[in-house]
Amino acid sequence: MEKALPFRFFIIHPKVAVLEWDTEPNPRLLKLLIGFQKAILKEFKEVSQITQGYCSLMLYHNCEIHYINDYPNSLCLLFDSLSHYSFTKQKIWQIPVCYEESMAPDLKSLANQLNISTASLVREHTSASYQVNFIGFLPGFLYLSGLPKVLECRRKARPASRVDRGSIGIGGKQTGIYPIESPGGWHLIGKTPYPLFEPKKKNPCFAKAGDSIQFLSISKSDYLELEKQRAQGTLKIKPL
Amino acid sequence: MIEVLLTGIHSSIQDLGRFGMQNTGIPIGGAMDQAAMQMANSLLNNHKHSAVLEMSFKGPKLLFHQSTTIALAGADMNAKLNEKPINNFTAIKIKENDLLQFGNAHQGKRTYLAVAGGFKNPEILNSRSQYLGITPEATISKTKLIPIDKVDLNLKKGARLTLTESNETDTIPVYKGPEFYLLPKKAQDQLTKQVFTISNKNSRMAYVLVEKLLHELPSIWTAPLLPGTIQCTPDGTLAILMRDAQTTGGYPRVLQVSDEGINRLAQKSTKDQFQFELTSV
Repeated sequence: MEKALPFRFFIIHPKVAVLEWDTEPNPRLLKLLIGFQKAILKEFKEVSQITQGYCSLMLYHNCEIHYINDYPNSLCLLFDSLSHYSFTKQKIWQIPVCYEESMAPDLKSLANQLNISTASLVREHTSASYQVNFIGFLPGFLYLSGLPKVLECRRKARPASRVDRGSIGIGGKQTGIYPIESPGGWHLIGKTPYPLFEPKKKNPCFAKAGDSIQFLSISKSDYLELEKQRAQGTLKIKPL
Repeated sequence: MIEVLLTGIHSSIQDLGRFGMQNTGIPIGGAMDQAAMQMANSLLNNHKHSAVLEMSFKGPKLLFHQSTTIALAGADMNAKLNEKPINNFTAIKIKENDLLQFGNAHQGKRTYLAVAGGFKNPEILNSRSQYLGITPEATISKTKLIPIDKVDLNLKKGARLTLTESNETDTIPVYKGPEFYLLPKKAQDQLTKQVFTISNKNSRMAYVLVEKLLHELPSIWTAPLLPGTIQCTPDGTLAILMRDAQTTGGYPRVLQVSDEGINRLAQKSTKDQFQFELTSV
């Protein structure tokens, strides 16, 4: 009898397959997904790129999938041998955020909704360490896990039609940074001067799946100084 | 250089897009109807990635500041060169100061203008495709100059294509999406038997359909998407993601449109109707 696959396997297009794990997102799965992608790209020359969700991978191929021998069983074997692959070292990024009212249009109303003070909202948001699960939705948009339970909230009833670049938002069980201007339905609690998506760079997004993010509260004058540096192109992001 | 005298409704420079960096949230993008785009390029012996001008619904008015050779493919936009009608699907010589203008689209919605050697606006992340946030602008803009290749073709007589098939087909080939299997038989049948209509919410990013799908699918953990993915929201609204699709999303993915199907949809717009035709991978 054939061994059951550890993931569900769908061919949704002659050259694209989706792999799905039946579980809630968790740090162990994230580690496996990151290691698995690295291993697939090394072992299968037919795979041209991989994108990731919380519990799934999408594999793009440079040939029709049915030409690949013993697929997906060989993927399964590779998944089972994952412990032999070293995982890339994860980086820690500290993102400076100004939580002052003029930069945080929804800070007060969200604190009211959560029944806490704005100071403790900021304290909770900056004390946690967040993990980058993957990047998607917008260029450079990080899907972060690790929002403290006390900050979980309903999304805004009416999405804002324009959210500034660098805005920090909370919505549902998630927090995130808007890398470019866009519409958005999250509560906006602060703003970062950091360049989050730089299309003219070879690696336009500073972070990778698996990295950690911490938010650091800064004053408005620090924000303005860093923002000036960003506009001049001299502000560089470095991991801790 | 080409000077933009009038922009048309939505005209943008497009090549085959940005492939290989979707894990940083960058959409693939590229020409909506890639079959038509490649026809225009092949008439000029261009590379298949050469950037073209994609013109939607109503075309622009353009003044050439240099000589070149052009070819048009896709919808018929009543193109006129110095006030005289010209045909799609043939190579045409252009002299300095020639005026090229377009009207409304017929027999399709999008027309592709290729020039010898291609458009030469700057490459950003390996592509010249316009996408706001990656390129400074989403479309071409009035009075601006667009750079094109300086090298012209030495054509004595232009190449010419005769199309045997209309680009207005009303069947769209689809594959089953990852959540198709979770739909009850009735909803699966509805997807393949019903006639669907494109709503006025349609763009390079997605086409929202008028008819809704009866279903009780749960939402999913945010997962990867690609152009052609059909998402279904909790109230049954179906959205077909097009070339500028976001790379991830949290709605069930019921169907996946084939590459050819995306090209066919690119020639359709508000109120156009079609049926999905389930094909196997």
